[in-house]
Amino acid sequence: MKKMMVLLMAMVMLFASVPMVQAEEAWKFERKVDLVCPWGVGGGADSTLRPMADLLKDILGVQVEVLNVEGGGGANGVEFTYKQPADGYTFMLGTQSLILMDLQDVFSMDYRTEFVPVAKLVHSVSIIAGSKKAMEQKGYNSFSEMVEYVKANPFQVSVGMLTATGADSLTLLQTIEGLDVMEVPYTSGSEMNSALMGGHIDMMVTGTDEISGLIESGDVVPLVACVEQRMKRYPDLECTGELGIDSFIGTWRGIYAKNGTPQAAIDAMEAAIEKASQDPKWQEFLVQGAYDERVGFEPSEGLKALEEKEYTTFSKYLNEQGLLRKPYDDISLD
Amino acid sequence: MFEMLAQGLAIVFEPSLFLMTLLAIVMGTVFGALPGVSATMAVALGLPFTYSMQPVPAIVFLVAVYCSSITGGSISAILFKIPGVPSSAPTTFDGYPMAKRGEAGKAIGVALVTSAIGGLFSAFAMFFLSPQLTQAALNFGPSEMFAVTFMGLSILTSLDSKNILRTTISGLLGLLLGTVGQDPMYGVQRLTFGSRQLLSGIEMIPVLIGIFALTEVFQQTKENKRITAEDAEKAGATTIDTKMPSMKEWLSIKWVIIRCSLIGTVVGILPGAGATIASFLCYSTETKLSKHPEKFGTGIIDGVAASEAANNAATGGAMVPLLSLGIPGGNAAAVMMSALVLKGVQLGPLLLINQPEYLSATFVSMIITNIVMVFVAIGIAKVFAKILSIPYSVLGPVIMMLAMIGSYATNMSTMDVKIMAIAGVMGVLFKVMHFNSAALILGLVLGSICEGNFSRAYTIYRGDIAGMFMRPIAGTIMVICIVALIYPFIAPALKTMLGKNKKTADK
Amino acid sequence: MFELILNILLVLFLVYSLFTHVIEAPIPDKVQRNPFALKPGVWPSVLIVLLLITLTINIIKIIKNNKGKPNFTLSYFVKEIPAFFKSKLFLGILIIVVAAFILEPLGFTVTSLFVLFFYGMLLGEKNVLKNIIVSVILSLFLYLFFGVLLQVNLPRGTVPFLREFALMLESLLS
Repeated sequence: MKKMMVLLMAMVMLFASVPMVQAEEAWKFERKVDLVCPWGVGGGADSTLRPMADLLKDILGVQVEVLNVEGGGGANGVEFTYKQPADGYTFMLGTQSLILMDLQDVFSMDYRTEFVPVAKLVHSVSIIAGSKKAMEQKGYNSFSEMVEYVKANPFQVSVGMLTATGADSLTLLQTIEGLDVMEVPYTSGSEMNSALMGGHIDMMVTGTDEISGLIESGDVVPLVACVEQRMKRYPDLECTGELGIDSFIGTWRGIYAKNGTPQAAIDAMEAAIEKASQDPKWQEFLVQGAYDERVGFEPSEGLKALEEKEYTTFSKYLNEQGLLRKPYDDISLD
Repeated sequence: MFEMLAQGLAIVFEPSLFLMTLLAIVMGTVFGALPGVSATMAVALGLPFTYSMQPVPAIVFLVAVYCSSITGGSISAILFKIPGVPSSAPTTFDGYPMAKRGEAGKAIGVALVTSAIGGLFSAFAMFFLSPQLTQAALNFGPSEMFAVTFMGLSILTSLDSKNILRTTISGLLGLLLGTVGQDPMYGVQRLTFGSRQLLSGIEMIPVLIGIFALTEVFQQTKENKRITAEDAEKAGATTIDTKMPSMKEWLSIKWVIIRCSLIGTVVGILPGAGATIASFLCYSTETKLSKHPEKFGTGIIDGVAASEAANNAATGGAMVPLLSLGIPGGNAAAVMMSALVLKGVQLGPLLLINQPEYLSATFVSMIITNIVMVFVAIGIAKVFAKILSIPYSVLGPVIMMLAMIGSYATNMSTMDVKIMAIAGVMGVLFKVMHFNSAALILGLVLGSICEGNFSRAYTIYRGDIAGMFMRPIAGTIMVICIVALIYPFIAPALKTMLGKNKKTADK
Repeated sequence: MFELILNILLVLFLVYSLFTHVIEAPIPDKVQRNPFALKPGVWPSVLIVLLLITLTINIIKIIKNNKGKPNFTLSYFVKEIPAFFKSKLFLGILIIVVAAFILEPLGFTVTSLFVLFFYGMLLGEKNVLKNIIVSVILSLFLYLFFGVLLQVNLPRGTVPFLREFALMLESLLS
């Protein structure tokens, strides 16, 4: 037993001494790096993170493992990462839904200050798509005809989305402001997609990455894209930019580190992600996943600026809904 | 058709891939049997093996892992009362009592063979009826999904027909536990009593492990039974291959197997349902249809067969929307989808039209897996059964630790371990109150799906509840539910009436 | 008697929940305005009301069935309480509850040692030395097998030196 203790103590000292030496030089990753994904295996977030982890493994020269800590719409993953020591070996994937949750006071910490942006990976375009079946039934064929229909028939058109108070619902609100539709929240994207194909719901708000295959088949018809310019892949699809509608929120995913992580580690990770983003394999992934419509990689400051912008937008939105439970003093609500 | 079949055979029987498939089957069965490694995790653990493969071989490999892991889960469910994968949960209800009686070999035999039949059935359904099944799946909207889950609940009372009141209470308690956390529609928090950790709701697996496995060890502690090596041997450790069910017993469950394979396939297709829902639905349906419902839960092969045929049938079902629509039918299918997307495969309705080899290769892989896995699983079950021969003073604590790992691993949450501990205590209290644990779990599993789909349908049909069910599928299922609900109350009256008629006829 | 008390406690708890905790957060404004949205409180409230009805029937049944039985009194129940706290069942529950709470701070290996050792003793293992050896070996095995080989990422513990120890174990295999 005594020997055990001595061994343990020796080990502790050994490990404790390692980071001190390193803080002065450039950061070098020495053991496995964990990338926490707060959502399940196979989802959009996970399928973005896995190819990136693969590329990072070769660049960093150590194991890079994706840890799926799902549940609570992402809250479990955030809490899990928050409990890990900020030693530069745990990073997390974040999206705007975590911002929305922070403003609703879901986490035990202030997400805004406790997590530092490292780099943005992808930025998708949200689109509003209609079910072919429902469109034939209700007789509208384009975005403007749909708007006319909804104006004439309030609470007649149902719109699917993931989480009623998420970014998708704000996109809908911004795009068809003042119109009364039925919001039908879903908990799983695949359930929603098949409901749309089957004509059980009339429209849905989603990311391009989620339904590009369904659009190709013709059962799902895109009505409008929430983006500044027309998309490369759907040149005939109207966009909010040309229609003069202020609705440009798209799902983005970025890497975050817990506050207190050595700056050198953050910089090293940022540089590695930048290098990985230029890899042809990643470029190919961006095209496959329909992520090539907007700039994907952005460094720490770029992601921070985007995050702050969305904090303001979402604070206002949640305040209007009576849901803002954690107002930040420096964010104006007007 | 035959051309496609030949194509599939050619792909899978290519020697290197065939060896990989065998590896996948062994891997899948072992992972499935280990508590804490669900089928989804097993498939995710198989991902690295596919990195260097072409897309079609990759899906062949992952399908083999998936199907065999669902089967492997039954081994630990029967031997330790800890389901290796969530969909084997109902297998514990009858499998464990059988093992305790010394019929572990028989229980595992039934589980493996019915798994294989269920799996084969759904593989054929997938291969021959994919377009029709896809269309059927698209007809299931919120009202239909609600009707299906409500059917599962309406037969809840038959889980213990001698104790309807307390079984109902248990089921309602399970439904109530399912409402803890954010509501499925608008994310409004409910019944968390201020605990942030409960915001994400209560998972089925920790509760199940707590209320079954933990309570069982507590019970053994109370009785202070020293289980010796001989007892353990009697409990099936060495008899796994000798005591298979007789032909008569197999024939007695033929309808159970056929019905559950069918229901399992259909439920597997529905996105948002999956293997776990399938096995629970089938288990409760069979208790309702059985001639001896009171025997369910005491260790009969019908119960094991219902659960295992259903969850393996769901595997084939889950592949249908994945291949024909690009919509995964469950979490494991979602992992396979991400593997394909990584390889640059454009999933969607056009996949099978342009590249039918995906369907044929998946089909052949499923056929081989479902046959080979029976033999692999028997071998693995024998190894696992050896664990039972260690003295209980070591085995009991090890089961406790496996229970902790199993609860923790789903979400990597220590809160889930606390929930499991509490559920264990609850299980002890349930014994005192004569409540039914299986009913509680059923309520918990179906609760949020039931509520979510009801709310969705309510909104879509603008509050018109009658309109929700004026649809062919939803309406038919609801009628069956109502008959199932009121039958126990009118049955005696009906019988006396029929009896009277007979008497008058006799005169 | 214990059964009756448990049922009554459950009823009281449910009544309390019904009035205070069915809805714990504001409902979004747009949901309030939508006449066709099913409010989030409806489903749990219905369940609780159904539970209260069925539990009341159950309580009446219990009283009816046990009326007049000699051990169906409060004093008999109170007399039995001390015996429970000395029972193995109580100790077993205690071990697991403690284990569930130390899992996060102390990590998997320590928790596993704790459970394997004490529960082993409780289940009648007399030989302390043998018990210690078995516990240590099994704990290490479980950690390496599940935590490292199967990548289950078991808790490493938040106490620094236990965390370093867990990392050291992991480095042995990878």
